[in-house]
Amino acid sequence: MSITIKNELAQFLIRLADSEIILGQRLAEMCSKGPFLEEDIALSNLALDLFGRGEELLKIIADLEDNAYTPDDYTFRRNEREYFSYKIVEQPNNDFAWVIARQYFHDVYVREIFRQLLNHSDQQIAGLSEKVLKEIDYSYLHARDWMVRLGIGTEESNSRLQKAVDSLWKYSEELFAFDQIDTNVLDDSDQIKTVWDNEIDQVFSEANLEKPEEFKRHILDFRQGFHSEYLGMILADMQYLPRAYPDAQW
Amino acid sequence: MEQVPDPEIPIINLVELGVIRELNIVDNQLQIIITPTYTGCPAKQLFEDLIKEKLIEHNILNFTIESRIYPVWTTDWLSDETKAKLLKDGISPPTLGDKDIICPHCKSLDTKMISQFGSTPCQSLYSCNSCKEPFNYFKCL
Repeated sequence: MSITIKNELAQFLIRLADSEIILGQRLAEMCSKGPFLEEDIALSNLALDLFGRGEELLKIIADLEDNAYTPDDYTFRRNEREYFSYKIVEQPNNDFAWVIARQYFHDVYVREIFRQLLNHSDQQIAGLSEKVLKEIDYSYLHARDWMVRLGIGTEESNSRLQKAVDSLWKYSEELFAFDQIDTNVLDDSDQIKTVWDNEIDQVFSEANLEKPEEFKRHILDFRQGFHSEYLGMILADMQYLPRAYPDAQW
Repeated sequence: MEQVPDPEIPIINLVELGVIRELNIVDNQLQIIITPTYTGCPAKQLFEDLIKEKLIEHNILNFTIESRIYPVWTTDWLSDETKAKLLKDGISPPTLGDKDIICPHCKSLDTKMISQFGSTPCQSLYSCNSCKEPFNYFKCL
């Protein structure tokens, strides 16, 4: 089965929805593997937030698409090329520093996107954005706090965080390669990059991190459904049950 | 509806929690509007199931439940009475700006956060510097 999305606003929203769900899946992998109990609980809580947010976005998308598919169909019955999550969120939990840096980059980016959606004419989208912004503050503060703690912690923690930042950085460029679908919905897409730059400069300096050089991308854009090698493996894991037993009920 | 307890904090009910927003009669049908606390709250589905169960128990079969995100749920919807109930149950109630958080055991305000994330999405972990007991704090949202 191939699921295509026709409505332009839905095409924009699915990028957000997919990224939240894929990051949620990555964080869910950390459940019972956190460095200590409180952090384990925190990461699992954040995974729940991301899944909830993804589901609410998919409900709006389903409405816009005249309910041709359900949120579960979108989540479990699309393949890699039909997913529109950006590549940062697909990157693996190589190290706790990776988990934190990935979360931090995600939070800084989507926070500004949801801020701009606050004024959206669709009340469902504006309302959800207000909700998300309240929740995301906790996630952002958690990630920012860890960035600084690991950055100025020990030589070891700093070098591991720097390594994570360097590795993830090459996937940051595509975040700002907005297309028409993005700019039609966002108030000011340039502002997203400005907020990102200011924020990153501030936190990298607090955390003694070096900002990697701007990276020239050689991988195609997530907006066209292109991904790193990891997405296929994430989907294989996440979609195994509904694919093996279609329409299975609890 | 006041007979439906919150699944995680049974000392308060769904009306007190602010989840039940409106009860309307539309074309002889009971319409219930609910607003979830957190988008990712695992109790979201359970709220609806518990409401259904209670209505059926009272032989009310003609109803719809609609979940609405907007206006956004806020801890401002908890009354002072509800907050007092939470405190009595050992959960420190939400305070403006997450400041002056009270220990539910010894009522000291000398408390510190252990983790922003607790056993449910709506709570954080705290401990008291006076009596040294840990406790849950209901986050201000």
